[in-house]
Amino acid sequence: MIDLIILVTLLALGYGFGSYAESRHYKSIITRENTLRHIPAVTSRFPPMNNNTTDAALVSGSVVVSVDYFKRFIAALRNLVGGRVTSYESLVDRARREAILRMKAEAEQLNADIIFNVKLETSSIHKGRGNSIGSVEVLAYGTALKTHP
Amino acid sequence: MKYSNPQIPEGINTSKQHPLKEFFMLTAGVLGLIVAAVLLLGFFADKLAHHIPFEVELKIASKELLEASEPGPMQSYLEGLTERIVSAQALPEEMPITVHYVDDDTVNAFATLGGHIYMFRGLVEQLPNENALVMVLAHEIAHIKHRHPIRSLGRGVIIGLALSMLSGTMGDMMANQIVSNTGMVTSLTFSRDQERESDKTALETLMALYGNVVGADQLFKVLQEAGGAMEVPEFFSTHPLSEKRIQHIHAFGRELSPSTAEAQATPLPLEFPNWLSLEADENDHEQ
Repeated sequence: MIDLIILVTLLALGYGFGSYAESRHYKSIITRENTLRHIPAVTSRFPPMNNNTTDAALVSGSVVVSVDYFKRFIAALRNLVGGRVTSYESLVDRARREAILRMKAEAEQLNADIIFNVKLETSSIHKGRGNSIGSVEVLAYGTALKTHP
Repeated sequence: MKYSNPQIPEGINTSKQHPLKEFFMLTAGVLGLIVAAVLLLGFFADKLAHHIPFEVELKIASKELLEASEPGPMQSYLEGLTERIVSAQALPEEMPITVHYVDDDTVNAFATLGGHIYMFRGLVEQLPNENALVMVLAHEIAHIKHRHPIRSLGRGVIIGLALSMLSGTMGDMMANQIVSNTGMVTSLTFSRDQERESDKTALETLMALYGNVVGADQLFKVLQEAGGAMEVPEFFSTHPLSEKRIQHIHAFGRELSPSTAEAQATPLPLEFPNWLSLEADENDHEQ
């Protein structure tokens, strides 16, 4: 009985705080994506062939996002029946976009015009902790270029 | 080729479905499946366990519990009542009932494998009359008669095995808990059914022995008080709610004899309070 009350409380807290944090994060992501739109981030392995590059630097951005109790509960049930783990999809989507944004912010500080050879790395931070923590880290990195006007 | 960097529409990599909708669908689906599986397994395990001969039960009964109780006036009084109840319930001969009186504060009585019944002083001392005491004894003997201990054991083994097989393969602690808790709560329905069945047989026994069912409800009033003010919802309990059991008794009483309320309860023997404590009894002898 008490277990059930605790479970429902945790689920409600997870859902409340989780969805509030998520919607706030998405709003912030969308506005910053618009402000940083002038710096393209491309996956091409070679710099643009216009030969007026003046400077190059490694830029990176990483983020760790944790899953809330509600999302974990849904994912645990989803593991039984299969299908899209929609509760985690928004989590990793936010993490990827946030990591790219942080990388772009660093490039903006360097007055870079473009980032090429962008790569993404992900790792889950729960290993060896008995599945008690479900966090995802996304690291974005690339080479920022400054060009002549 | 001109490079452009348009705004990408939202919702490509994420689902537009409301999370609560998914939550309710998943919960209902998964929990429903578990409940159905547990009920099905429990039903068949129960049916099969019923065919285990009573001699097997006698063999596997825990040896520490089997020790015969020290002889005393309470022990022989209970044995006398047991004999009457056994003949009233027409137990087959190969089902011997052994009653054990335990000098302990626990407000409880239980029946276990091999026809062993344990009566605790905590419960016995609170019973107002012989009828209530016979209700307890008859209820526990009815458990034996209907083979409830072995059926519970068989069911518990099967359901426990199935649940641990399922949760063992998932490798997720939270999912494990969801599955095993749901399964356990579901299997409690069998336990409550058994209690109701025993209640019914015990009432019939009271009827056969005394011609009324006075005192039966008094037992559950004692249990209700012992349980405290906050009773756990029936859903999470091994026994039906005391209140419901009292209602059943009243309904049953009305069915059998309209004069239930007027009927006189059989009092306990006069020396009964002196029999309660085994240790005090020994001290008396020493003096």
